[in-house]
Amino acid sequence: MKIAICASDNNPESLVADRFARADYFAVYNSEDLQFSFFDNPAKKEGSGAGGKAAKILGDLDIEVVLVPELGPKAIDALNAFEIKSFQYKQGETVRAALYSYFEKKLPEMLDASVKGKH
Amino acid sequence: MKIAILSGKGGTGKTTLSVNLFSCLKKATLIDTDVEEPNSHLFLKGTTYHDEIVYKKYPVVNHDLCTLCGKCGDFCNFNAIIPAKKKVLVFDDLCHDCGGCRLVCPTNAISYKDKKIGNIYYQSIEENKQFLYGKLTVGEISGVKIIEHLKNITKKEEILLIDSPPGTSCSTVAAIEGADYCIIAAEPTPFGLSDMRMVVELLREEKVNYGVVVNKSNLGNNDIYEYLEKEGIELLESIEFREEFARIIARGELLVDHSDYVKDKMKNIIKKVLGDTYA
Repeated sequence: MKIAICASDNNPESLVADRFARADYFAVYNSEDLQFSFFDNPAKKEGSGAGGKAAKILGDLDIEVVLVPELGPKAIDALNAFEIKSFQYKQGETVRAALYSYFEKKLPEMLDASVKGKH
Repeated sequence: MKIAILSGKGGTGKTTLSVNLFSCLKKATLIDTDVEEPNSHLFLKGTTYHDEIVYKKYPVVNHDLCTLCGKCGDFCNFNAIIPAKKKVLVFDDLCHDCGGCRLVCPTNAISYKDKKIGNIYYQSIEENKQFLYGKLTVGEISGVKIIEHLKNITKKEEILLIDSPPGTSCSTVAAIEGADYCIIAAEPTPFGLSDMRMVVELLREEKVNYGVVVNKSNLGNNDIYEYLEKEGIELLESIEFREEFARIIARGELLVDHSDYVKDKMKNIIKKVLGDTYA
């Protein structure tokens, strides 16, 4: 299973990002080979609809779970359409710590948008 | 002749200039294309005799025909259509109604539906004077469609004034497109000059003739005048700031109804832009 984490830099000790679709990087942890890999997030530069685009990027990477700070209504709709579950981490922790919290089942699953959309 | 009044920076006097110029013309049409925040009607106080709804189209996907090939999503610049695992997501409020997704769809799975994005209001002000303004629905992404509609309705007018939106983005470009002349409403402040430079760049690219009216000319500094001289840009008029003017505008009244000074300035601008016969 592949788990994505919104990251502010490209290593497991970097802080988690404070935005979902406009995060600088997506950290991807593969639970089969226990490896991290990091992907630039081209959605962060989008003028509009970054949430949908970010969900598509994760969908194309075969992500099943994403750890996020907040989600807008379009982002959650798009993640649902790509059948990606989302869990909310706490700000200020590292990518690795957020992943451990997820494995320890400490992160709440996001079923609705946590922030209001802008459009 | 179509004359657009624009500024780059907000609050420099586009609407003030537009409505006061309009009031000094015997026969003219004014359109307020600042559809996100139209204000001209507050000064003109006409009564609306006709109200039109403006629609945009957004894509609807027939999932029996769709093969989830992804071409529509790759084409869309605004992420309004996103092919996902089992269906295609459409965010109608992000759609700019370009029609591209239907063109690239290989299985003809996309059709379009109408969605209201705003209104156009028609007002007759006095004999031979018409005023129209558009209003974009709150939360809609682009007013360009409404602006294009406003301009299409008034394309045959002999004298058309176009009160344009601030900035230099799509809606401003739509407002000035096809104009024979542009009047830049500027102010002699660092912010006014900085934003005006972007307007000048836009107008040079669009190859439209233009001149500048400096409002609040006794405030700020001299940078703008030096800039105009250096660039060889015509200064049509400069109009002083007076507390009395601020009070008149704050009451929603026309400066030309109270000030001969402003009236003369307006007539002079009209003379320079349209010629003696219209002043």
